[in-house]
Amino acid sequence: MKKILVFTLAVSLLIPAAAFAKRVKYEAVEVTNGGTISGKVSTTEKVKDPVISINVKAKETSEDAELERKTCITIPGGQQAMMYLVSGANEVKNVLVTIENVKKGKAAPQKDLEINNYRCRFEPLVGISYVKSKYIIKNSDPLLHNTNFGKMLKGGVKRAVFNLALPYKDQVIKKKNRVAGLIHVKCDAHPWMRAYVYSSRHPYVAITDAKGNFEIKDLLPGKYTVKFWHEGFEEVVKEIEVNGGGVSKLNATFTKTRKPAFMD
Amino acid sequence: MKGFFKKYRGMMPVFFLMLLSPALMATLQKTKDAYGLTHEIDTGKKVYQERCLICHGVEGNGKGPVDVVRRAEKTGRIIEIYSRDFTVGVFKFRSTPTGCLPTDDDILGTIADGIERSFMPSHKEVLSSEEREAVKEYIKAFSFRWEEEDPCDAITVKKPEGVDSPAFAEKGKMVYKEMKCWECHGYQGVGDGPKADDLKDDWGKQIRPFDFTTGALKRGSSPENVYITFTTGLDGTGMPAYEDSPSEEDRWHLVAYTLKLMKLKGRAE
Repeated sequence: MKKILVFTLAVSLLIPAAAFAKRVKYEAVEVTNGGTISGKVSTTEKVKDPVISINVKAKETSEDAELERKTCITIPGGQQAMMYLVSGANEVKNVLVTIENVKKGKAAPQKDLEINNYRCRFEPLVGISYVKSKYIIKNSDPLLHNTNFGKMLKGGVKRAVFNLALPYKDQVIKKKNRVAGLIHVKCDAHPWMRAYVYSSRHPYVAITDAKGNFEIKDLLPGKYTVKFWHEGFEEVVKEIEVNGGGVSKLNATFTKTRKPAFMD
Repeated sequence: MKGFFKKYRGMMPVFFLMLLSPALMATLQKTKDAYGLTHEIDTGKKVYQERCLICHGVEGNGKGPVDVVRRAEKTGRIIEIYSRDFTVGVFKFRSTPTGCLPTDDDILGTIADGIERSFMPSHKEVLSSEEREAVKEYIKAFSFRWEEEDPCDAITVKKPEGVDSPAFAEKGKMVYKEMKCWECHGYQGVGDGPKADDLKDDWGKQIRPFDFTTGALKRGSSPENVYITFTTGLDGTGMPAYEDSPSEEDRWHLVAYTLKLMKLKGRAE
Protein backbone atom coordinates (compact mmCIF):
# COMPACT_ATOMS: atom_id res chain seq x y z
CA MET A 1 0.00 0.00 0.00
CA LYS A 2 2.86 2.31 0.91
CA LYS A 3 4.38 1.79 -2.52
CA ILE A 4 1.16 2.85 -4.20
CA LEU A 5 0.97 5.95 -2.09
CA VAL A 6 4.55 6.88 -2.87
CA PHE A 7 4.00 6.27 -6.57
CA THR A 8 0.76 8.26 -6.68
CA LEU A 9 2.42 11.08 -4.79
CA ALA A 10 5.37 11.08 -7.15
CA VAL A 11 3.05 11.25 -10.17
CA SER A 12 0.98 14.04 -8.68
CA LEU A 13 4.12 16.06 -7.97
CA LEU A 14 4.98 15.99 -11.65
CA ILE A 15 1.93 18.07 -12.47
CA PRO A 16 1.79 21.72 -11.37
CA ALA A 17 -1.20 22.45 -9.17
CA ALA A 18 -2.67 24.98 -11.59
CA ALA A 19 -3.46 22.16 -14.00
CA PHE A 20 -6.27 21.04 -11.72
CA ALA A 21 -8.12 24.36 -11.75
CA LYS A 22 -11.59 24.36 -13.16
CA ARG A 23 -13.82 27.11 -14.44
CA VAL A 24 -16.12 28.59 -11.86
CA LYS A 25 -19.67 27.83 -12.89
CA TYR A 26 -22.75 29.93 -12.20
CA GLU A 27 -26.19 28.60 -12.92
CA ALA A 28 -28.84 31.12 -13.99
CA VAL A 29 -32.36 30.15 -12.92
CA GLU A 30 -35.79 31.76 -12.48
CA VAL A 31 -36.06 33.27 -8.99
CA THR A 32 -39.52 33.87 -7.55
CA ASN A 33 -40.05 34.89 -3.94
CA GLY A 34 -36.33 35.52 -3.43
CA GLY A 35 -34.80 37.07 -0.33
CA THR A 36 -33.03 40.40 0.19
CA ILE A 37 -29.90 41.43 2.06
CA SER A 38 -29.79 45.09 3.02
CA GLY A 39 -27.74 47.14 5.42
CA LYS A 40 -25.31 49.92 6.08
CA VAL A 41 -21.52 50.23 6.09
CA SER A 42 -19.80 52.48 8.62
CA THR A 43 -16.33 53.17 9.96
CA THR A 44 -15.30 53.33 13.63
CA GLU A 45 -12.92 56.21 13.01
CA LYS A 46 -13.48 59.51 11.26
CA VAL A 47 -11.02 59.61 8.37
CA LYS A 48 -9.94 62.59 6.32
CA ASP A 49 -9.91 62.41 2.55
CA PRO A 50 -6.32 63.02 1.38
CA VAL A 51 -5.20 65.42 -1.35
CA ILE A 52 -3.19 63.95 -4.23
CA SER A 53 -0.33 66.24 -5.17
CA ILE A 54 0.28 66.50 -8.89
CA ASN A 55 3.53 67.62 -10.41
CA VAL A 56 3.36 68.04 -14.20
CA LYS A 57 6.78 67.61 -15.79
CA ALA A 58 8.16 69.86 -18.51
CA LYS A 59 7.15 69.07 -22.09
CA GLU A 60 8.50 70.17 -25.44
CA THR A 61 6.23 73.20 -25.45
CA SER A 62 5.03 75.07 -22.38
CA GLU A 63 1.50 74.99 -23.90
CA ASP A 64 1.51 71.20 -23.70
CA ALA A 65 2.52 71.26 -20.05
CA GLU A 66 0.00 74.00 -19.28
CA LEU A 67 -2.79 72.02 -20.94
CA GLU A 68 -2.03 69.05 -18.70
CA ARG A 69 -1.84 71.23 -15.62
CA LYS A 70 -5.18 72.87 -16.44
CA THR A 71 -6.84 69.51 -17.11
CA CYS A 72 -5.50 67.52 -14.18
CA ILE A 73 -5.13 69.98 -11.32
CA THR A 74 -8.56 70.68 -9.88
CA ILE A 75 -7.66 72.12 -6.47
CA PRO A 76 -4.46 73.99 -5.53
CA GLY A 77 -1.56 71.55 -5.88
CA GLY A 78 -3.51 68.59 -7.20
CA GLN A 79 -6.77 66.72 -6.73
CA GLN A 80 -8.99 65.58 -3.92
CA ALA A 81 -8.52 61.79 -3.64
CA MET A 82 -12.28 61.17 -3.15
CA MET A 83 -11.18 58.04 -1.32
CA TYR A 84 -12.84 58.56 2.06
CA LEU A 85 -16.36 59.71 1.32
CA VAL A 86 -17.65 59.41 4.86
CA SER A 87 -20.85 61.04 6.16
CA GLY A 88 -21.23 62.93 9.44
CA ALA A 89 -22.59 59.68 10.93
CA ASN A 90 -19.45 57.77 9.74
CA GLU A 91 -21.30 56.04 6.89
CA VAL A 92 -19.04 55.03 4.00
CA LYS A 93 -19.80 55.56 0.32
CA ASN A 94 -18.37 53.47 -2.55
CA VAL A 95 -18.06 50.17 -0.68
CA LEU A 96 -18.31 47.15 -2.97
CA VAL A 97 -20.66 44.61 -1.43
CA THR A 98 -20.30 41.24 -3.11
CA ILE A 99 -21.63 37.76 -2.43
CA GLU A 100 -18.72 35.38 -2.63
CA ASN A 101 -20.31 31.94 -2.71
CA VAL A 102 -23.37 32.32 -4.92
CA LYS A 103 -23.59 29.44 -7.40
CA LYS A 104 -27.16 29.74 -8.51
CA GLY A 105 -29.62 32.58 -8.99
CA LYS A 106 -30.92 35.14 -11.44
CA ALA A 107 -29.12 35.76 -14.71
CA ALA A 108 -26.77 38.75 -14.74
CA PRO A 109 -28.18 41.77 -16.57
CA GLN A 110 -26.73 42.83 -19.91
CA LYS A 111 -25.64 46.26 -18.75
CA ASP A 112 -22.63 48.08 -20.15
CA LEU A 113 -20.30 50.06 -17.92
CA GLU A 114 -18.89 53.37 -19.07
CA ILE A 115 -15.51 54.39 -17.68
CA ASN A 116 -14.71 57.99 -18.46
CA ASN A 117 -11.26 59.57 -18.26
CA TYR A 118 -12.29 63.03 -17.12
CA ARG A 119 -9.99 65.66 -15.65
CA CYS A 120 -7.39 63.00 -14.99
CA ARG A 121 -9.60 60.78 -12.89
CA PHE A 122 -11.78 57.82 -13.73
CA GLU A 123 -15.52 58.19 -13.47
CA PRO A 124 -16.98 56.26 -11.77
CA LEU A 125 -14.39 55.44 -9.13
CA VAL A 126 -16.19 52.19 -8.28
CA GLY A 127 -18.32 50.35 -10.82
CA ILE A 128 -20.06 47.07 -11.53
CA SER A 129 -19.79 45.23 -14.82
CA TYR A 130 -21.21 41.91 -15.94
CA VAL A 131 -19.33 39.21 -17.82
CA LYS A 132 -20.32 39.20 -21.52
CA SER A 133 -21.56 42.82 -21.40
CA LYS A 134 -19.36 45.69 -22.60
CA TYR A 135 -16.97 48.21 -21.19
CA ILE A 136 -17.24 51.61 -22.85
CA ILE A 137 -13.95 53.40 -22.32
CA LYS A 138 -14.02 57.12 -23.01
CA ASN A 139 -11.40 59.86 -22.98
CA SER A 140 -12.88 63.30 -22.30
CA ASP A 141 -9.46 64.96 -21.86
CA PRO A 142 -7.24 66.49 -24.55
CA LEU A 143 -4.38 64.31 -23.25
CA LEU A 144 -3.04 60.80 -23.73
CA HIS A 145 -4.68 58.45 -21.28
CA ASN A 146 -4.36 54.72 -21.18
CA THR A 147 -6.92 52.56 -19.45
CA ASN A 148 -5.16 49.58 -17.94
CA PHE A 149 -7.41 46.91 -16.38
CA GLY A 150 -5.79 44.36 -14.08
CA LYS A 151 -7.57 41.60 -12.18
CA MET A 152 -6.45 41.77 -8.56
CA LEU A 153 -4.89 38.45 -7.56
CA LYS A 154 -3.66 37.28 -4.18
CA GLY A 155 -0.42 38.82 -2.96
CA GLY A 156 -1.02 42.22 -4.55
CA VAL A 157 -0.22 40.95 -8.05
CA LYS A 158 -2.41 41.88 -11.01
CA ARG A 159 -3.30 40.02 -14.16
CA ALA A 160 -3.74 42.23 -17.22
CA VAL A 161 -7.32 42.26 -18.51
CA PHE A 162 -6.54 44.81 -21.23
CA ASN A 163 -4.58 48.01 -21.59
CA LEU A 164 -5.89 50.50 -24.14
CA ALA A 165 -4.31 53.67 -25.48
CA LEU A 166 -6.64 56.66 -25.87
CA PRO A 167 -4.52 59.41 -27.42
CA TYR A 168 -7.49 61.53 -28.62
CA LYS A 169 -10.07 63.66 -26.84
CA ASP A 170 -13.55 62.10 -27.11
CA GLN A 171 -12.14 58.75 -28.22
CA VAL A 172 -14.41 55.85 -27.27
CA ILE A 173 -13.41 52.18 -27.25
CA LYS A 174 -15.80 49.34 -26.58
CA LYS A 175 -14.44 46.13 -25.13
CA LYS A 176 -16.25 42.93 -24.26
CA ASN A 177 -16.04 41.92 -20.61
CA ARG A 178 -14.40 38.47 -20.62
CA VAL A 179 -13.01 38.23 -17.09
CA ALA A 180 -14.78 37.99 -13.73
CA GLY A 181 -13.35 39.35 -10.50
CA LEU A 182 -12.24 42.52 -8.77
CA ILE A 183 -10.41 44.68 -11.27
CA HIS A 184 -8.04 47.55 -10.64
CA VAL A 185 -8.04 50.23 -13.32
CA LYS A 186 -5.07 52.52 -13.78
CA CYS A 187 -3.63 55.02 -16.20
CA ASP A 188 0.11 54.63 -16.55
CA ALA A 189 0.46 58.19 -17.85
CA HIS A 190 -1.12 59.55 -14.64
CA PRO A 191 -0.17 57.26 -11.75
CA TRP A 192 -2.68 58.70 -9.30
CA MET A 193 -5.63 57.72 -11.50
CA ARG A 194 -7.46 54.61 -10.33
CA ALA A 195 -10.85 52.96 -10.42
CA TYR A 196 -12.23 49.62 -9.26
CA VAL A 197 -14.61 47.43 -11.19
CA TYR A 198 -16.31 44.34 -9.88
CA SER A 199 -16.88 42.13 -12.89
CA SER A 200 -19.62 39.66 -12.03
CA ARG A 201 -21.22 36.53 -13.49
CA HIS A 202 -24.32 37.16 -11.36
CA PRO A 203 -26.43 40.18 -10.38
CA TYR A 204 -25.70 40.00 -6.63
CA VAL A 205 -23.37 42.97 -6.24
CA ALA A 206 -23.96 46.45 -4.82
CA ILE A 207 -22.14 49.71 -4.12
CA THR A 208 -23.02 51.73 -1.02
CA ASP A 209 -24.55 55.18 -1.46
CA ALA A 210 -23.58 58.38 0.39
CA LYS A 211 -25.43 57.09 3.48
CA GLY A 212 -23.52 53.80 3.39
CA ASN A 213 -26.66 51.89 2.38
CA PHE A 214 -26.86 48.90 0.06
CA GLU A 215 -29.45 46.35 -1.01
CA ILE A 216 -29.10 43.02 -2.82
CA LYS A 217 -32.39 41.50 -3.99
CA ASP A 218 -33.81 38.29 -5.46
CA LEU A 219 -31.48 35.82 -3.76
CA LEU A 220 -32.42 32.16 -3.50
CA PRO A 221 -32.81 31.11 0.15
CA GLY A 222 -29.57 29.93 1.67
CA LYS A 223 -26.43 30.85 3.60
CA TYR A 224 -24.23 33.46 1.96
CA THR A 225 -20.78 34.94 2.51
CA VAL A 226 -20.81 38.69 1.99
CA LYS A 227 -17.64 40.69 1.42
CA PHE A 228 -17.34 44.44 2.04
CA TRP A 229 -14.46 45.88 0.02
CA HIS A 230 -13.13 49.44 -0.02
CA GLU A 231 -9.77 50.69 -1.30
CA GLY A 232 -8.99 52.55 1.92
CA PHE A 233 -10.19 50.04 4.55
CA GLU A 234 -9.30 46.47 5.46
CA GLU A 235 -12.12 44.32 4.12
CA VAL A 236 -14.84 42.78 6.25
CA VAL A 237 -16.43 39.38 5.52
CA LYS A 238 -19.74 38.27 7.05
CA GLU A 239 -22.07 35.28 6.88
CA ILE A 240 -25.83 35.60 6.62
CA GLU A 241 -28.88 33.44 6.09
CA VAL A 242 -31.49 34.50 3.54
CA ASN A 243 -35.11 33.28 3.61
CA GLY A 244 -37.55 33.31 0.71
CA GLY A 245 -39.45 36.62 0.58
CA GLY A 246 -37.64 37.96 3.66
CA VAL A 247 -35.22 40.81 4.28
CA SER A 248 -32.00 39.96 6.13
CA LYS A 249 -30.34 42.96 7.75
CA LEU A 250 -26.56 43.03 7.55
CA ASN A 251 -24.46 45.96 8.71
CA ALA A 252 -20.68 46.13 8.51
CA THR A 253 -18.13 48.31 10.24
CA PHE A 254 -14.61 49.03 9.05
CA THR A 255 -12.10 49.26 11.88
CA LYS A 256 -8.79 49.53 10.05
CA THR A 257 -7.62 51.79 7.23
CA ARG A 258 -5.11 50.81 4.56
CA LYS A 259 -3.05 52.67 2.00
CA PRO A 260 -3.94 51.87 -1.61
CA ALA A 261 -1.20 51.58 -4.24
CA PHE A 262 -1.92 54.94 -5.89
CA MET A 263 -0.93 56.73 -2.65
CA ASP A 264 2.66 55.42 -2.86
CA MET B 1 -10.74 -17.62 -2.38
CA LYS B 2 -10.15 -16.72 1.24
CA GLY B 3 -7.10 -18.93 1.19
CA PHE B 4 -5.82 -17.20 -1.92
CA PHE B 5 -5.99 -13.78 -0.22
CA LYS B 6 -4.32 -15.17 2.89
CA LYS B 7 -1.57 -16.85 0.88
CA TYR B 8 -0.77 -13.84 -1.27
CA ARG B 9 -1.46 -11.09 1.28
CA GLY B 10 2.10 -9.89 1.01
CA MET B 11 1.67 -9.53 -2.74
CA MET B 12 -1.46 -7.36 -2.52
CA PRO B 13 0.33 -4.04 -3.05
CA VAL B 14 1.83 -5.47 -6.23
CA PHE B 15 -1.62 -6.57 -7.49
CA PHE B 16 -2.97 -3.14 -6.68
CA LEU B 17 -0.17 -1.49 -8.55
CA MET B 18 -0.76 -3.78 -11.54
CA LEU B 19 -4.43 -2.86 -11.53
CA LEU B 20 -3.77 0.84 -11.17
CA SER B 21 -0.77 1.26 -13.39
CA PRO B 22 -2.60 1.22 -16.76
CA ALA B 23 -4.80 4.07 -15.53
CA LEU B 24 -1.81 6.00 -14.24
CA MET B 25 0.20 5.41 -17.37
CA ALA B 26 -2.78 6.45 -19.48
CA THR B 27 -3.01 9.69 -17.52
CA LEU B 28 0.57 10.44 -18.37
CA GLN B 29 0.65 9.18 -21.92
CA LYS B 30 -2.71 10.00 -23.43
CA THR B 31 -2.39 12.94 -25.81
CA LYS B 32 -4.89 14.93 -23.74
CA ASP B 33 -6.41 13.93 -20.44
CA ALA B 34 -9.31 15.48 -18.54
CA TYR B 35 -7.23 18.49 -17.54
CA GLY B 36 -5.87 19.15 -21.01
CA LEU B 37 -2.47 17.90 -19.95
CA THR B 38 -0.29 15.85 -22.19
CA HIS B 39 2.40 13.30 -21.44
CA GLU B 40 4.78 16.06 -22.43
CA ILE B 41 4.44 17.50 -18.92
CA ASP B 42 6.96 14.87 -17.87
CA THR B 43 9.57 15.90 -20.45
CA GLY B 44 8.55 19.51 -19.91
CA LYS B 45 9.41 19.33 -16.24
CA LYS B 46 12.83 17.91 -16.98
CA VAL B 47 13.58 20.63 -19.53
CA TYR B 48 12.21 23.31 -17.23
CA GLN B 49 14.41 22.17 -14.37
CA GLU B 50 17.49 22.13 -16.54
CA ARG B 51 16.95 25.34 -18.51
CA CYS B 52 14.32 27.62 -16.96
CA LEU B 53 14.23 27.06 -13.21
CA ILE B 54 17.38 29.07 -12.47
CA CYS B 55 15.59 32.30 -13.44
CA HIS B 56 11.87 31.48 -13.42
CA GLY B 57 11.94 29.50 -10.16
CA VAL B 58 10.65 26.14 -8.96
CA GLU B 59 7.12 27.51 -8.68
CA GLY B 60 7.29 29.39 -11.97
CA ASN B 61 6.84 32.72 -10.18
CA GLY B 62 9.97 34.30 -11.64
CA LYS B 63 11.79 34.05 -8.33
CA GLY B 64 14.56 31.69 -9.29
CA PRO B 65 18.04 31.79 -7.72
CA VAL B 66 19.11 34.43 -10.27
CA ASP B 67 16.36 36.85 -9.17
CA VAL B 68 16.99 40.30 -10.68
CA VAL B 69 19.57 40.97 -13.38
CA ARG B 70 20.73 44.43 -14.39
CA ARG B 71 22.05 45.77 -17.63
CA ALA B 72 23.41 49.18 -18.53
CA GLU B 73 22.37 50.90 -21.73
CA LYS B 74 24.59 53.23 -23.69
CA THR B 75 22.78 56.27 -22.29
CA GLY B 76 23.96 55.13 -18.87
CA ARG B 77 20.58 54.12 -17.54
CA ILE B 78 20.34 50.84 -15.72
CA ILE B 79 17.54 48.46 -16.57
CA GLU B 80 16.45 45.95 -13.95
CA ILE B 81 15.14 42.77 -15.48
CA TYR B 82 12.94 40.32 -13.61
CA SER B 83 12.11 36.91 -14.99
CA ARG B 84 8.57 36.28 -16.13
CA ASP B 85 6.15 35.14 -13.43
CA PHE B 86 4.30 32.29 -15.17
CA THR B 87 1.75 31.87 -12.38
CA VAL B 88 -0.08 35.05 -13.45
CA GLY B 89 -0.34 33.87 -17.05
CA VAL B 90 0.36 37.29 -18.63
CA PHE B 91 2.74 37.50 -21.57
CA LYS B 92 4.12 40.56 -23.32
CA PHE B 93 4.97 39.03 -26.66
CA ARG B 94 1.71 37.91 -28.19
CA SER B 95 0.12 37.92 -31.61
CA THR B 96 -3.27 38.22 -29.88
CA PRO B 97 -5.07 41.43 -28.79
CA THR B 98 -4.49 43.01 -25.38
CA GLY B 99 -5.94 40.97 -22.54
CA CYS B 100 -5.72 37.70 -24.41
CA LEU B 101 -3.70 34.61 -23.75
CA PRO B 102 -0.80 34.17 -26.13
CA THR B 103 -1.04 31.48 -28.79
CA ASP B 104 1.08 28.35 -28.39
CA ASP B 105 3.19 29.63 -31.28
CA ASP B 106 3.82 32.89 -29.42
CA ILE B 107 5.27 31.03 -26.43
CA LEU B 108 7.20 28.64 -28.67
CA GLY B 109 8.60 31.66 -30.52
CA THR B 110 9.91 33.22 -27.31
CA ILE B 111 11.41 29.90 -26.18
CA ALA B 112 13.08 29.37 -29.54
CA ASP B 113 14.31 32.91 -30.23
CA GLY B 114 14.88 34.24 -26.74
CA ILE B 115 14.35 37.95 -25.94
CA GLU B 116 16.64 40.70 -27.17
CA ARG B 117 18.27 42.94 -24.54
CA SER B 118 17.15 40.63 -21.75
CA PHE B 119 18.94 37.56 -20.49
CA MET B 120 16.44 35.17 -22.03
CA PRO B 121 18.56 33.08 -24.40
CA SER B 122 17.58 31.35 -27.63
CA HIS B 123 16.81 27.64 -27.32
CA LYS B 124 16.70 26.82 -31.00
CA GLU B 125 20.00 24.97 -30.93
CA VAL B 126 19.89 23.50 -27.44
CA LEU B 127 16.39 22.03 -27.38
CA SER B 128 14.63 19.81 -29.89
CA SER B 129 11.23 20.96 -31.14
CA GLU B 130 9.64 18.18 -29.02
CA GLU B 131 11.40 19.50 -25.92
CA ARG B 132 10.34 23.08 -26.67
CA GLU B 133 6.77 21.87 -27.15
CA ALA B 134 6.92 19.97 -23.86
CA VAL B 135 8.33 22.82 -21.82
CA LYS B 136 5.71 25.17 -23.28
CA GLU B 137 2.98 22.86 -21.92
CA TYR B 138 4.74 22.76 -18.57
CA ILE B 139 4.92 26.59 -18.47
CA LYS B 140 1.21 26.89 -19.31
CA ALA B 141 0.34 24.58 -16.41
CA PHE B 142 1.71 27.13 -13.90
CA SER B 143 -1.29 29.42 -14.42
CA PHE B 144 -5.02 28.93 -13.92
CA ARG B 145 -5.61 31.34 -16.78
CA TRP B 146 -5.68 28.68 -19.47
CA GLU B 147 -8.45 26.93 -17.55
CA GLU B 148 -10.43 30.10 -16.96
CA GLU B 149 -10.28 31.90 -20.29
CA ASP B 150 -11.07 31.15 -23.89
CA PRO B 151 -8.32 31.69 -26.45
CA CYS B 152 -8.37 34.63 -28.90
CA ASP B 153 -7.48 34.69 -32.58
CA ALA B 154 -4.08 35.99 -33.61
CA ILE B 155 -3.97 39.35 -35.39
CA THR B 156 -2.99 39.03 -39.04
CA VAL B 157 -0.24 41.36 -40.13
CA LYS B 158 0.02 42.31 -43.82
CA LYS B 159 2.97 44.51 -44.59
CA PRO B 160 2.33 46.87 -47.52
CA GLU B 161 4.92 48.05 -50.06
CA GLY B 162 7.02 51.06 -49.18
CA VAL B 163 7.64 50.61 -45.46
CA ASP B 164 11.33 51.37 -46.06
CA SER B 165 10.61 54.59 -48.00
CA PRO B 166 11.51 58.03 -46.53
CA ALA B 167 7.95 59.19 -47.30
CA PHE B 168 6.53 56.54 -44.96
CA ALA B 169 8.96 57.47 -42.20
CA GLU B 170 8.17 61.17 -42.63
CA LYS B 171 4.44 60.53 -42.22
CA GLY B 172 5.23 58.23 -39.32
CA LYS B 173 6.89 61.08 -37.49
CA MET B 174 3.52 62.86 -37.42
CA VAL B 175 1.79 59.68 -36.19
CA TYR B 176 4.39 59.39 -33.40
CA LYS B 177 3.43 62.93 -32.37
CA GLU B 178 -0.34 62.45 -32.65
CA MET B 179 -0.38 59.12 -30.83
CA LYS B 180 1.69 60.82 -28.12
CA CYS B 181 4.31 58.08 -28.13
CA TRP B 182 6.71 60.81 -26.92
CA GLU B 183 4.94 60.99 -23.55
CA CYS B 184 6.95 57.91 -22.56
CA HIS B 185 9.45 57.25 -25.36
CA GLY B 186 10.63 60.86 -25.57
CA TYR B 187 10.82 63.42 -28.34
CA GLN B 188 13.94 61.80 -29.80
CA GLY B 189 12.83 58.24 -29.07
CA VAL B 190 15.44 57.55 -26.40
CA GLY B 191 12.88 56.57 -23.75
CA ASP B 192 13.09 59.79 -21.72
CA GLY B 193 9.58 61.26 -22.20
CA PRO B 194 7.77 63.32 -19.53
CA LYS B 195 6.13 60.14 -18.13
CA ALA B 196 9.19 57.90 -18.35
CA ASP B 197 10.05 57.95 -14.65
CA ASP B 198 6.57 57.12 -13.34
CA LEU B 199 6.03 53.71 -14.87
CA LYS B 200 5.50 50.53 -12.90
CA ASP B 201 4.53 47.08 -14.11
CA ASP B 202 1.76 44.90 -12.68
CA TRP B 203 4.19 43.46 -10.13
CA GLY B 204 4.88 46.99 -8.81
CA LYS B 205 8.41 47.13 -10.25
CA GLN B 206 9.72 50.23 -11.96
CA ILE B 207 9.98 49.85 -15.72
CA ARG B 208 11.56 51.94 -18.47
CA PRO B 209 10.12 52.82 -21.87
CA PHE B 210 12.01 51.48 -24.87
CA ASP B 211 14.97 53.51 -26.12
CA PHE B 212 14.58 53.06 -29.88
CA THR B 213 18.21 53.97 -30.50
CA THR B 214 19.31 50.68 -28.90
CA GLY B 215 18.20 49.29 -32.26
CA ALA B 216 16.85 46.04 -30.86
CA LEU B 217 13.18 45.53 -30.09
CA LYS B 218 12.74 42.87 -27.43
CA ARG B 219 10.50 40.61 -29.47
CA GLY B 220 12.61 41.06 -32.62
CA SER B 221 13.05 44.06 -34.89
CA SER B 222 11.23 43.09 -38.09
CA PRO B 223 8.59 45.58 -39.37
CA GLU B 224 5.91 43.01 -38.47
CA ASN B 225 7.21 42.82 -34.90
CA VAL B 226 7.12 46.61 -34.53
CA TYR B 227 3.54 46.63 -35.88
CA ILE B 228 2.34 43.89 -33.56
CA THR B 229 4.05 45.43 -30.49
CA PHE B 230 2.12 48.71 -30.50
CA THR B 231 -1.04 47.08 -31.83
CA THR B 232 -1.28 44.47 -29.06
CA GLY B 233 0.49 46.43 -26.35
CA LEU B 234 2.75 44.75 -23.81
CA ASP B 235 0.34 43.38 -21.21
CA GLY B 236 1.50 43.73 -17.64
CA THR B 237 3.50 46.87 -18.47
CA GLY B 238 2.53 50.49 -19.10
CA MET B 239 2.67 50.02 -22.87
CA PRO B 240 -0.98 50.12 -23.97
CA ALA B 241 -2.45 48.56 -27.08
CA TYR B 242 -3.02 51.03 -29.90
CA GLU B 243 -5.76 48.81 -31.27
CA ASP B 244 -8.39 51.54 -31.85
CA SER B 245 -6.07 54.12 -33.39
CA PRO B 246 -4.17 54.96 -35.61
CA SER B 247 -5.54 53.80 -38.99
CA GLU B 248 -4.05 50.73 -40.68
CA GLU B 249 -2.20 53.01 -43.11
CA ASP B 250 -0.74 55.14 -40.33
CA ARG B 251 0.33 52.02 -38.43
CA TRP B 252 2.79 51.25 -41.22
CA HIS B 253 3.92 54.87 -41.30
CA LEU B 254 4.63 54.55 -37.59
CA VAL B 255 6.49 51.29 -38.22
CA ALA B 256 8.65 53.08 -40.78
CA TYR B 257 9.43 55.93 -38.39
CA THR B 258 10.18 53.49 -35.56
CA LEU B 259 12.62 51.59 -37.78
CA LYS B 260 14.24 54.91 -38.69
CA LEU B 261 14.69 55.74 -35.00
CA MET B 262 16.15 52.28 -34.57
CA LYS B 263 18.44 52.98 -37.54
CA LEU B 264 17.09 49.86 -39.20
CA LYS B 265 15.59 51.50 -42.25
CA GLY B 266 17.85 49.63 -44.63
CA ARG B 267 16.92 46.33 -43.04
CA ALA B 268 13.21 46.98 -43.14
CA GLU B 269 12.59 45.00 -46.31
